[in-house]
Amino acid sequence: VADLTGREVNADVVDSCRLGDRDAFHALYLLYKDRVYSVALYFFHGDRAVAADVTQQVFLKLITSIGQFRGDAGFSTWLYRLIVNECMDAARGRKSKVVTSDRAHMEAFAVPGSQEEDYARTQMVSSVRSAISALPPKFRIAVLLRYFDELSYEEMAKALGCSMGTVASRLSRGHKMLAELLKA
Amino acid sequence: MFTKHISTQLAAHLDGQLTGAELREAEEHLRTCVRCREEAEQVRSGMTIIKSLESVEAPDELWSSIEAGLQPVPKRPRWQWVLTPAVVLILAGIVWWRSASSWIETNSTSRKTISIGQIGTVEIEPNTRVRVVKDQPAEHRLTLARGEIRATISAPPKLFFVDTPSGTAVDLGCAYSLTTEEDGSDLLRVTRGWVSLQWKGLESLVPAGASCRTRPKAGPGIPYFDDASAPLKRALETEGPLAVILTESRKRDTLTLWHLLSRVDFGDRARVFDRITALTPLPAGVTRERALALDRQTLDHWREELAWTW
Repeated sequence: VADLTGREVNADVVDSCRLGDRDAFHALYLLYKDRVYSVALYFFHGDRAVAADVTQQVFLKLITSIGQFRGDAGFSTWLYRLIVNECMDAARGRKSKVVTSDRAHMEAFAVPGSQEEDYARTQMVSSVRSAISALPPKFRIAVLLRYFDELSYEEMAKALGCSMGTVASRLSRGHKMLAELLKA
Repeated sequence: MFTKHISTQLAAHLDGQLTGAELREAEEHLRTCVRCREEAEQVRSGMTIIKSLESVEAPDELWSSIEAGLQPVPKRPRWQWVLTPAVVLILAGIVWWRSASSWIETNSTSRKTISIGQIGTVEIEPNTRVRVVKDQPAEHRLTLARGEIRATISAPPKLFFVDTPSGTAVDLGCAYSLTTEEDGSDLLRVTRGWVSLQWKGLESLVPAGASCRTRPKAGPGIPYFDDASAPLKRALETEGPLAVILTESRKRDTLTLWHLLSRVDFGDRARVFDRITALTPLPAGVTRERALALDRQTLDHWREELAWTW
């Protein structure tokens, strides 16, 4: 359908999706699915069920509103706006629910066969993940967006609906808090 | 010489986002400020830490559940590409006349739903009169004469506007309901994201979970969270005693207090300022003097900091 190796999706794929081409949408899904799922998984403390639900909603909303994407802004920016909205909405909906123990979600991040081979590394990743879970949602989503898709500050400002100064502030505080949490 | 700490800029500095004067000032400050140098090391450490995370593969079965949720997508008819320019002009005229100039009205039992380009939908509740004024990719604009609409918009901010007799609701990526009464006053309730209410330079920013009234010739009022106390909401509604609002305010109600700051006279402004600072510490970069002088940059910075609790 198009070259899907780059960071930005080819405009032909988006055009084909607009025309109802299910194969093009599947290609789009394959390109972005792991990034969307990873952000949701780390955002929701390793809860695979919620991460899958958020990912599903993001792609369903994407296909129903893809006609608005005109190519004048990065496709990733637009996609990540959907992710931010979905994560923050889902987080609000889960506020009153009991948060499942971190241990219950440990396996979500485990690489098959890697625990015995590299126990120390697995422990470190687990600690980092717990620290990320402890960040306030607005810091958490900013740090994850910056890391998983290397969005620029301008793209992040559009995705988060705030100024670039606020993006810088959230990243500074988020990363500092991460370091403090892991030092404690 | 006094220089402002650069805590909030450290990530931008380490990410190479600062240039020109900002970069020079940051480097100069870091040379002389031990506190910011230590914080920079912490931020750098945080950046390194997060790089240890790996992308996780989405489960294989996810696609089938997405596909099951997809509605059949209507394919565009191919004949549209062979329309002559004259026919296109006539059709465009009809579309403009139908969508951009006619009022849509519902009676006491009917409801309607209209699409806002490809960015969302508006549900029109009973007894409502609304008109599509503009329907372009860069600007979608409605006029709400009376009644209630429920908008769900998924798009970058400032693409969707609703004009009412007492102001304009500007979408900042959100879902909300907007009711216009016969006297021209509005009630906005935001359920997701943010909405900006504007009228002649006056602006109220309303986040999810909050509401705000507007009145003709007065514009947007003071927003409040729907779970605020009844006495607080009553005092706002009736322009009652400021003391009640101050006493009843919780940490989260700094949303209301921050907006009040620039709407009360100077004498009361200090009381509002003191109440906010009693509820939440004054952040770096905000001073009493600048806040009471209603310095725009200071107030905006303060709002961004307070918004963490909203």
